[in-house]
Amino acid sequence: MKTNLLITAFVTLLLGIVLNELGFFDSGKLIRGLRNLGILTSDMVPPDFSVLPVAGRALWETVLMSFAGTLLGFLASLPLSILGTRNLFPTILSSVARFIAAAVRTIPVLLWAIIFVILFGLGPLAGTFGIAAYTVGYLAKIYSDLFEGTDPEVVEAVGSTGASKLQLVRFVFLPEGANAILTQLLFMLEYNIRASSILGFVGAGGLGFVMQVYLQTLEYRRLASVLLLILVVVLAMDGISAWIRKRFLLTAQA
Amino acid sequence: MSRTSNQQIALRAEGLSFAYRETDWILKDICLSIPSGQITIIMGPSGTGKTTLLKILAGILIPSRGHVEVFNQDIANQPQRSMASLIGYIPQQLGLVRNLTALENVLMGALGRCGNGRALLGLFPREEVRKAEAALDLMGIAHKTNEKVFRLSGGERQRVAIARTLLQHPRVVVADEFVSDLDMALALEILSRIRLAAAQEQITFVMSMHRQGLVREFAENVVTLREGHIAPGFIPAISQGSAVVELLQ
Repeated sequence: MKTNLLITAFVTLLLGIVLNELGFFDSGKLIRGLRNLGILTSDMVPPDFSVLPVAGRALWETVLMSFAGTLLGFLASLPLSILGTRNLFPTILSSVARFIAAAVRTIPVLLWAIIFVILFGLGPLAGTFGIAAYTVGYLAKIYSDLFEGTDPEVVEAVGSTGASKLQLVRFVFLPEGANAILTQLLFMLEYNIRASSILGFVGAGGLGFVMQVYLQTLEYRRLASVLLLILVVVLAMDGISAWIRKRFLLTAQA
Repeated sequence: MSRTSNQQIALRAEGLSFAYRETDWILKDICLSIPSGQITIIMGPSGTGKTTLLKILAGILIPSRGHVEVFNQDIANQPQRSMASLIGYIPQQLGLVRNLTALENVLMGALGRCGNGRALLGLFPREEVRKAEAALDLMGIAHKTNEKVFRLSGGERQRVAIARTLLQHPRVVVADEFVSDLDMALALEILSRIRLAAAQEQITFVMSMHRQGLVREFAENVVTLREGHIAPGFIPAISQGSAVVELLQ
């Protein structure tokens, strides 16, 4: 009890110091920020929907980039995550696979997009590869951890039938992890749709370029309709994910 | 004791000891011989090392000391695939893949005979599929062939696990407390099917069990473990049966 109180007090103190360091208690700055928020919001309404045809086309490109990038990243993450599974492969091999995934994950998606713009030039191809790269790093780590958590009894039982490592992956690790594999894939797709809307800022295609133009030209009403468009797509994606989960995931646990 | 000499020995363990830490021995100097083609039951209080012993006998755990022979071959020298044709293993929670169908789970028993080619696509030879369906039929759940395992009842899962092991065509089946979660009637039915399979296919069954009634009904031999040792003697009610386990202690 006493220890819990001490821990709570310590965490609260730490949080206070950090927030102070970040300027959270600078009331002048906060009030100024709130006032600017009011001005920005009033400049954004009513949204200007005349830009919908242009924004719609850019949004479609963003969705395609996210979809292709997520799928490519997912396909590449599977072998990497399997190699990174420590209870399946020797430590040296799994450590190398996990290191590659960690190195890829360290670079944020925007930086990946810049790297691919340098490699392939401006356009959605760079964005697609950027998304794929980040997806590999993230999913490989999540899936390796997931595979390592597979029920050892199932691995032992199927392993005792003389199954090879590849057969174990196909018949135990993948089907046992199917729920989490699908859930994480859908999460990644949602995340990538949101994240890829800013990739256009660095010339990697999609909606970001349109948003950047409206921001720089202070056309906030047009920007507002773009943001609403993104909201609609994200909500639609939520609905599709929920349907897929309901349709394909295990519904009866025992 | 004397009858063992006239009978083929399926499993022989000599000087088996097991510990995760040098100071904490789970099994201590276990010696036993299990006769072929019979049902041998390992009994003993919880935490006495039954699961560890069964895993060592099945070749899943490597003993700290001692060795195990299956039909006179040291299991430490057996490649994984040839072990699969000698010993099948059913863990306490059955080790089924819940998101696959009963038939797919049973077909896993044939993985040791199938290469990494078509089987990886889920395409098994027609003969193996026919055998898997026959094994499900033998277990009385042919009507659940295409049902996913998570939709099956406890008893049905038990039968799928046995069918998978039978498809492996092992000479010995090692099963850990695998009827302990079933009611008496269902446990009796499952064990009757095992007895039938043991007789028909000449399979040696080694299983742990704690229900005395079932042990009396089905055990041809009993080994009792206590604190990591084999306790001397048999359960009196069973000794009138064909108790032929040779205790070398």
